[in-house]
Amino acid sequence: MKSISEEDLNCFIDALIQDETYEVHGVQSKGKRFVFAPLETAEHLRLEYDVTILPPKKYFLPQYENLMDFNLSQDFSVSPQKVDKPLILIGVHPYDIIALQQTDKVYLDDQKDDFYQKRRKNTLIIGVDIQNVSEHSFAGSLGTHYVDSGFDLMLTNIGKKYVITIGSKKGEKLVQRYAKVKDATDAEVKEIEKIRINTLNKFKKKVQVTDAAGWSSLLVSNYENSIWEEQSSKCMECSSCTMVCPTCFCYDVKDDVSLNMRDGSRIRTWDGCLLKDFTKVGSGEVFREDLKDRFRHRFFRKGNYLTERYGFIACVGCGRCSIACLPNIASPCDIINELSKSGGKGKRDTFFIKQKNKTDEKGIIHVPRRAIIKKIQKLTEWETLFTLEFEDKKPLGHKPGQFVELSIFGVGEAPFGISSPPSDDPQFDVVVRKVGNLTSKLFTLKKEDSVGIRGPLGNGFDMKEFKGKHIIFVSGGTGMIPMRSLIEYCLDKKNRDKFKYIKILYGAKRPCDVLFQDKIATWEKCDSVTCKLTVDTCQDGECWVGSVGLVTALFPKLEVDRIDPKNTKAVVIGPPVMFKFVIKCLQTIGIDDKDIYVSLERRMKCGVGKCGHCQINGVYCCKEGPVFNYAEIKNLPEAFE
Amino acid sequence: MSKPKVAFFDFASCEGCQLQIANLEEEILDLIQLVDVVSFREVMKEHAETYDIAFIEGSVMRPMDEERIKEIRKHAKILVALGACATIGGVNKIRNQWDVENVKKDVYGDAKIKGNKYFDVFPTKSVDEVVKVDFYIHGCPINRDEFKKVVVSLIMGKTPEIPTYPVCVECKKNENVCLFEQGKFCLGPITRAGCNAICPTNGSPCDGCRGILDKPQVECVQEVLDRYNLTYEDMKNRCIIYNYTKEEC
Repeated sequence: MKSISEEDLNCFIDALIQDETYEVHGVQSKGKRFVFAPLETAEHLRLEYDVTILPPKKYFLPQYENLMDFNLSQDFSVSPQKVDKPLILIGVHPYDIIALQQTDKVYLDDQKDDFYQKRRKNTLIIGVDIQNVSEHSFAGSLGTHYVDSGFDLMLTNIGKKYVITIGSKKGEKLVQRYAKVKDATDAEVKEIEKIRINTLNKFKKKVQVTDAAGWSSLLVSNYENSIWEEQSSKCMECSSCTMVCPTCFCYDVKDDVSLNMRDGSRIRTWDGCLLKDFTKVGSGEVFREDLKDRFRHRFFRKGNYLTERYGFIACVGCGRCSIACLPNIASPCDIINELSKSGGKGKRDTFFIKQKNKTDEKGIIHVPRRAIIKKIQKLTEWETLFTLEFEDKKPLGHKPGQFVELSIFGVGEAPFGISSPPSDDPQFDVVVRKVGNLTSKLFTLKKEDSVGIRGPLGNGFDMKEFKGKHIIFVSGGTGMIPMRSLIEYCLDKKNRDKFKYIKILYGAKRPCDVLFQDKIATWEKCDSVTCKLTVDTCQDGECWVGSVGLVTALFPKLEVDRIDPKNTKAVVIGPPVMFKFVIKCLQTIGIDDKDIYVSLERRMKCGVGKCGHCQINGVYCCKEGPVFNYAEIKNLPEAFE
Repeated sequence: MSKPKVAFFDFASCEGCQLQIANLEEEILDLIQLVDVVSFREVMKEHAETYDIAFIEGSVMRPMDEERIKEIRKHAKILVALGACATIGGVNKIRNQWDVENVKKDVYGDAKIKGNKYFDVFPTKSVDEVVKVDFYIHGCPINRDEFKKVVVSLIMGKTPEIPTYPVCVECKKNENVCLFEQGKFCLGPITRAGCNAICPTNGSPCDGCRGILDKPQVECVQEVLDRYNLTYEDMKNRCIIYNYTKEEC
């Protein structure tokens, strides 16, 4: 530890500013508030600040971050973001350092985010112990008002001097090179502790429950509490609370194209779970439409979902959300205190599922690989099959049930289920329904045109679990697209003897909407396979030999006697409304919940468990799903309701 | 592919939105590479009656405007409302709070305007109150970047994405000190974003020129006014600038 006079600290900081190898940013005033901004002189630094408007996350996950540039005049030309000049960030408060450490867990621990990692490595953090406390902050009661690691240097003001705690080699070097310091005396070091206690006493706002387990269980006990309805009725849905939050890290990704129609970039920008279109998918479905649910979701992310996953309270008590929230309903402190008064009202178990198969994206996160369209086959009025192949002819290496993120530069990116079975063949199929911008554009592409592919992503089917079993496949509508991958895997000569009787139930809207008619014809001919098809409606004159009615109506036709329900697995993929009814049918014929598998649709934007859009309660559909064992998620709120 | 023919038309407006396009400066060269501008009174003399995309600036105020816009709609494959006067009626709607005859009297006094079709006004209408509007470019004036995005989208065959979230989102990203904290009533929380919060970023409260969100959440209004020592009048005055409706806002 070192000590430095205020004057020498200013000289130190001015010397850092002079060093052109670094960008130096520090806390400065903006009106009556404070912000981190480029520092011109040490005089502008306001180390006595209470809280900044935005947390330092803006340096690691910028508001608008150019992930990659592309050139539309070429078939497939992409260059990922370049590294910026190293940054020194001066005046970071302990709670913000803790927030960054939490974000590291999310962004670096599994499936590292290359862009975030580069910025983290490229930044030196000079922290400062809190001198003035914001009236909305409750960091003291959470114990986030001080920190022992996560900084390169930590400054603690003791009267006219600062004590410098060295946190890293890099920090030490800066001090050696630029700062006129003395070794801190024992008295000075002891002063740090006093200062921190003094700070602790300045917090007017206190949260009654201070441990992660306490937050988590309190929230779970109050999932159905009327507080969410009451409080959210005052919510303006502006998502300011998530924008200013140091631990909110959800984002959206959009393509920008300049007027010359040549240069473009893929931009990552902050998104907020309070916004109504946050969970909207291409077909227009919104999965968390009710404001009450979105309002609750934010608090559950803070104190339950991320808490269960990583073990920390994803709120550091900075109080920024309360400052930003006009009706003043955003403070997790207020909610937790209110709930702790009332005890439990409306318990619902929420949980997250530990990811079974790590499906890390290869290469740089978000940067797609080039794939070439090898075949285009129109299947129905709305759906077209695209056969793709990576330019290096490497097979995709997927499991049934996995998906890819397909992108067209300038238009965007969306998830698509892989329709072909796993294979060593470099070609793979996706089937696309024309619903939005991306799919419409895809329909205009021709053979040999390029698209971007990321994947395979997500949790697919573990075929070992199906070994020696009868299998019932139930699909509705486009659910047949990923189902085909699974069916063809099972019917493949190499694998067929691993499975017993196979029953395929499939419902479509109209006869002309039935996908893979030619494939189905060959499946039907296989030994020990039954295919039953149905359509919702059949017009006069339409040729149709299957049933008419919902897919559940096919169950009486299932020759149940030929399968042993105790030795049967069932797979259900279809529109959200279908699950409840089909699963009921399966249960009726004696299939156990643990033998039922489902694949769910959500807005899987990043595909790697970061952006937050596909979250079903605490579960990331893109990582822990889209394939789930029904027994594991049947009680998961938001999954089937 | 031949370039789409584009025409600009103005109704009751200051033509400032078209000026924004003229102000694209060197980028206008990129623009005319993409589209064939066949009519744009503010920058050229030529005019043609055949066009694919019509950009409409201004509000509809008179029967003759109504006829004209219906005629344009017939010719245009795509009709885009350009700027607040066209998209929401904007400042032109302020006068809807008074009776038309009284307004005429106030403005023109005893001048003989009776029977003159140019003065035959009815309460202001936005373009979509008269004809179908395919796409909206909001704002007073429009944001040039958004105009470019919409043009690029139309050329690429994309549906332009107009934000469904409020200005606060962009304002927060810009790290502004909230205008409410400065004792000013700001319409940011309920106004459609897309302007990059230009007014709050430069210290002025949002006037709502991009229109109010589809379903604004306003139950907390009184609480917010109380918390920041603002009055209902503060709010009302801010609302009527661009978003006057009969029902009050």
